[in-house]
Formats: sequence, structure tokens, C-alpha cells
Amino acid sequence: MSIKFYQQPKLQRPDLIVGWPGIGNIGIIAVDALREMARAEEFAEIEPWDFFYPKRVLIKDGELKDMEFPSNKFYFCQTSKKDLIFFIGEEQPTEAEGAYAKGEKAYQMANLVLDVALKFGCERVYTSGAAVTLIHHTAKPRVWAVPNRKELIPEVKGYENTILMSNITGRVSQGTITGLNGLLLGVAKKRGLDGICLLGEIPAYLQGFPLLYPKASRAVVEVLANRLGIRIDLTNLDDLTRQVEDKINQLYEKIPPEVKDKLEQLKYVTYAKEEKPGPITEEDKKRIMKDIDKFFQKGGKED
Amino acid sequence: MISEEPFKIYKTPNLQSPSLVVRWSQDVGKLGIKTIGYLHKKLGIEEVGEIKPLGFFSFGGVKIEDDVIQSPESKFYSCPRNNLLIFESNPPRYEQYKFLNAVLDFAQHYYQATELYTIGGVISLMAHTAPRRISTVVNQPELKQTLARYGLETNMNYQTPPGERPTLSSLLLWVAKRRNIAGVNLWTEVPFYLAAVDDLRAIKYTLWFLDKRFELDIDFGELDLEIKRQNERIKQLREQNLEINKFIEMLESGIMLSEDENKKLAKEVTEFLEE
Repeated sequence: MSIKFYQQPKLQRPDLIVGWPGIGNIGIIAVDALREMARAEEFAEIEPWDFFYPKRVLIKDGELKDMEFPSNKFYFCQTSKKDLIFFIGEEQPTEAEGAYAKGEKAYQMANLVLDVALKFGCERVYTSGAAVTLIHHTAKPRVWAVPNRKELIPEVKGYENTILMSNITGRVSQGTITGLNGLLLGVAKKRGLDGICLLGEIPAYLQGFPLLYPKASRAVVEVLANRLGIRIDLTNLDDLTRQVEDKINQLYEKIPPEVKDKLEQLKYVTYAKEEKPGPITEEDKKRIMKDIDKFFQKGGKED
Repeated sequence: MISEEPFKIYKTPNLQSPSLVVRWSQDVGKLGIKTIGYLHKKLGIEEVGEIKPLGFFSFGGVKIEDDVIQSPESKFYSCPRNNLLIFESNPPRYEQYKFLNAVLDFAQHYYQATELYTIGGVISLMAHTAPRRISTVVNQPELKQTLARYGLETNMNYQTPPGERPTLSSLLLWVAKRRNIAGVNLWTEVPFYLAAVDDLRAIKYTLWFLDKRFELDIDFGELDLEIKRQNERIKQLREQNLEINKFIEMLESGIMLSEDENKKLAKEVTEFLEE
């Protein structure tokens, strides 16, 4: 298990921004888009063979030429505000079936990523993922911000378009962040690093489909780019969003009218705690979720 | 934490830089199982060690196959007379890279094995009456010349299609390459409608290669009789079932069947041969 360095950049207290695949690939799309916008340069990688089964073999003229594994790469750049390290993992290491990391391998992977961060003097880590919630796909997703220390709460309250778990009805400041996007911040806390997870909202009824949800990635990009001083160009993300929206709309048309009626009501759902009652009551929300679950046979969760 | 070796050694027979032959329990046409099974019968083979299963296999329960409870096994056998080391195993479910390195550690450190051969079947849309071919993949280009001398195919081009993963044999070949062990994947063609049963002709052709390569001096009499019996059974089915006969005739003439026809042919042949 080792890290291969291609170069040793000189960095001043960089922030680490990490992306792994998850529901709707919200986090990895956001982090990869930021990496591209910041024109970050590759400088190291985690050797993959102890963590992953290869994804492709290349045989040419009877000779084994290449065995390709999921990539785990580090990139660096310097913006007007900060030095940055990006880490992008193409897959989460698992010890059994499932797409999300768990067990010893996940812990080892998290520590290897943080080893690199600490080697370059990093003090802050950001991860990103999906917040599965009761919104309609036409709504602008918000970003749930979850820090790994209480002292960071005032800071994240100042981020645009973000919400804390305690401000979400029914959550009572609690939840789970499945896989490495969450685990990394737990390990970071143990190793003395500040960490914030930014979860872009995805409608509960889409979580079971093999769809990307770049609209939520866009929301995460806006929060992070502003914070990190990255000049944003959202053209690519917007193109991707349009393509995915077309697919979602096609899918939406196939939903039986009685279920669609319930989903339409989500356009008026306000999940954030409010002073006055909103157009949809708590009872309505519960009923809508029950009906949706019955149709999709899924439960709400975040990654 | 003390890291102990992942294998157990029962015996250390006198092998002189042997060749390592590997087969997995899940295989098309039971090719590896039957081929190595034949070597067990015909050569004096003894068990010399095993890879310990913990960490590589699931212990959440047991698998039942052919009405019998199965337990994962990963065993080494040796044939000192022919200077062969054989490894037979279930494919590991976890830590494949570590497992394959353990296989090569055992072969390299205790026996100084210098060459690796993996055996496996590959499904072909051919008729069972056509001669089988063995396609090879090497990890060192010099090996191609040697293999071509036996009439094996040495010019395969392949790339894992999206949504699929490389085979364990391919990964083993790559691990061997990293350790500078020369290796070959042998892929013997198996007609698709014999994939669920024994393809005896494919087994014989694979054995023929091993026989020539390692001077095993195998007596093929028994296997020839089994092949004759299998051919007669299929002939019987063709006489009884004209549609099946037509399908096989089409394949013999190089005409592709539809997906439904392929399924029907495979089902009928499998059921008939398993009766």
C-alpha cells in the first residue's frame, strides 16, 4: 500500500477537496469540475491494487499490455485565495458487495489520503456527496453542510444556499453520511484536521436510478468555488444538467398519474423549519413520502 | 500485529524450477477441473500445501453444489516426475491481489517456479464437430514463439468491454509479469452448447498441449473412449430431434443462429447429456 509521487509541489497550508462516487455522483462531479476549473495538476496517486479489482485488461497481438485499475489521484493548484490539493477516487474500496466503502480498506484509504494532506501542511478537508430529500427535480437543490467540529458551525452558516442538519425538519441534527465522503471527515477529526462535508440535494424518488445529478453538483461547486477562490465556468456542468434533465423528464412522464400527483406536491414542500406553517403540513409530507416509497420501494438516506 | 504467511506447507518435494499450472473451480465446459482431474488420475500427484482461506473467502454460510455442501479450497499439488507444481482453487472473493501474490510467493520462494500456465475455457459459437483451438495470452513476448510451435493461436486482441471486469487468470498473469515470472493464459474454445457440461474434446486438446509441453506421456485411451461416447450421444440427439440437427448443421456450415435458437440448442444438448 503506497503513494507514488510524480512531483513534490511547494504548498502553503493547502485545503484538501475530495470526491468519491456516490448517489447521483454529486460529490465526484462537483470536485472534478472544480479541479478542472482550477486547472489543477496531477502530482501523486495511491497505488490501487491492494484496494481494487482491475477494471480493464488490454491484450494486443497475444500479449498482455496493460491492466487498468480504478484511479486514485492527487492534484494541486494555487488560487488567488488558497493553495489547494484535490483527490479524486474513481471507486470506493469495499470489502464486500456494494458501492460504498466500509471496513479496514476504507479506513486505510482514508488515512492514506490524509497522509498526503498532512505531508503538505493541510489543515482543512472538504468532501461532498448527496443529501436524499423531499424535493422536486425542478427545484434548485440546496447544500447540506456538515462540519466535523462544532466550532465550524458559525462559518458554514455563512455559506450561501446551505443548510445545517438542525434546520431540517425531522432530522434533529442527526443523520449518516455513508461511505468515504463521510468516513474521511471522521478520520480527519481524529488526526486534528478540520473538515466539512457538503451534500447536494437530490430528490428521494431519483436516488434509486442510475442517473447523475449534476444540478446538485453545481450547487456544491458554487459554495466551494466561492470559498476557495476558484473562478467558475459552469458551461460544462450546465450542458450536462440539461442532458440529465431531459432523461429525468422522460422518466417522469412514465410515472403513473396517481404517483405523479404526489410528486407534483413536492414542488410546494418546505423542509426547512419555518416560523409559520407552510403550504404543505408535516402530515402531508409524511403521507407524500409514504406514497412515493410505496411506488419506488425505497427509503430516504444520504451518502 | 504479527503478519504470518497466508499458506500452509505440507511437504517440500524436490522440484527443480518447476512450471506452475493453475486452474479455477468456475470454468466454461469444466475445462480446468477436468483437465487437471485427468492429470491427477494419470500422473503421481500429491498435495503439498494450501492457501489459508481466511480473508479471501466469505464465511457467512456455505454453498451447496450438486446437493453437497462446498467449502472453498486453494491447494497446491506437485508432480516431481514431470517437474510440475499445480494450483487448484476457488476464485477468491476478497483481496484478489494479495491472494495471487500468495500463490506466486509459494511457487517462487519454495520451488523457484519460473513459468506459469493458467487453464480456462472460452465460449465459442462453433459446432462441436469442429476442431478446438487454444488462444494464448503471454506476459513476455519471447513466449509466443514457443507456443506457436505447438500450433496455438498467439495473436489475440482483446479489451475488457464496459461493464465487465478482467478474469482472475488475466490478473494473475499481470501479477506474474510484475514479478518477472513468464506466464501464459491458455484459453481453449468450448462450443457454447457444451459450456454447462464437459467438453471432452476441448479437455483433450488442452491435455495434448500439456502432454507435449511437459513431456507427460499421457495415455489418452480412456479419454478417447469418453469422447466417442459423447459424440455418439449427440448424434443420437440429432437423429431424434431434427430441429437440433438443423441448428448444428447450420453451425457446421458457418451460419450463425439467433439468440433463441442458441438458447434452445444449449438447453436441449445439456439436458440430453445430463440424463
